[in-house]
Amino acid sequence: MLGLVRSVLIIDDEDDIREVASLSLEAIAGWTVHAASSGTEGIAAALKVQPDAILMDVMMPGMDGPTTFKLMQQTKGIEHIPVILLTAKVQGIDQRRFAELGVAAVLFKPFDPLLLSEQIAKALGWKE
Amino acid sequence: MTLTASSSATSEATSKAAEKTQALLADLWRRNRPVIEDRLAILDCAAASNPMPEELRAAALDVAHKLSGSLGMFGFDQGTVIARELEQLLCAPLPDTSRIAELTGHLRKMLLPSS
Repeated sequence: MLGLVRSVLIIDDEDDIREVASLSLEAIAGWTVHAASSGTEGIAAALKVQPDAILMDVMMPGMDGPTTFKLMQQTKGIEHIPVILLTAKVQGIDQRRFAELGVAAVLFKPFDPLLLSEQIAKALGWKE
Repeated sequence: MTLTASSSATSEATSKAAEKTQALLADLWRRNRPVIEDRLAILDCAAASNPMPEELRAAALDVAHKLSGSLGMFGFDQGTVIARELEQLLCAPLPDTSRIAELTGHLRKMLLPSS
């Protein structure tokens, strides 16, 4: 288990992704996990729980990940929270487009549940 | 506690956490079976339609995308490879339905071996 207890908000419309990511971060790293199933719900949750980081899916019905990220950047109180995008898209052009948004990192689906917390900590420079 | 003992305890805790996670994943996979069945059924419908209605193509593409993003989490790395090929096929203007049927069959055997 890693050192500090972190708080992460997962935003993904797929139940199985939220469940796997949650159990991975809780069981492996001992972090506190909050979850939301849409961009709108995610913004409300971020304002309420003030997580240390947000892990968010790119493709969601309604407001997608990039749009939600832009809105977060304009929302006082959560604009400072690092956002990691989670995507199943493997094409280089998509990766560059997501990186240019200004997100903290882009991680790829499917992720390894045993390594997800390490990948997040590394991407955010968290020294555990 | 010596450094070696501390390191050993940390390693044991990590190993136990990994075991617990694997067990929880296995349980989640079992509970997830109806969702997988539904997703494969949509791919079956798409493969059986000719020409494929746009609404069905979009639904099948969404399913293939979800499978490509999730199967590897449960240890089905080859399933992710197949789902990615399905995604590519379903992006084509005239999807190759026979290949979609073949790949969906492979996925069913892999994911639902007892069905």
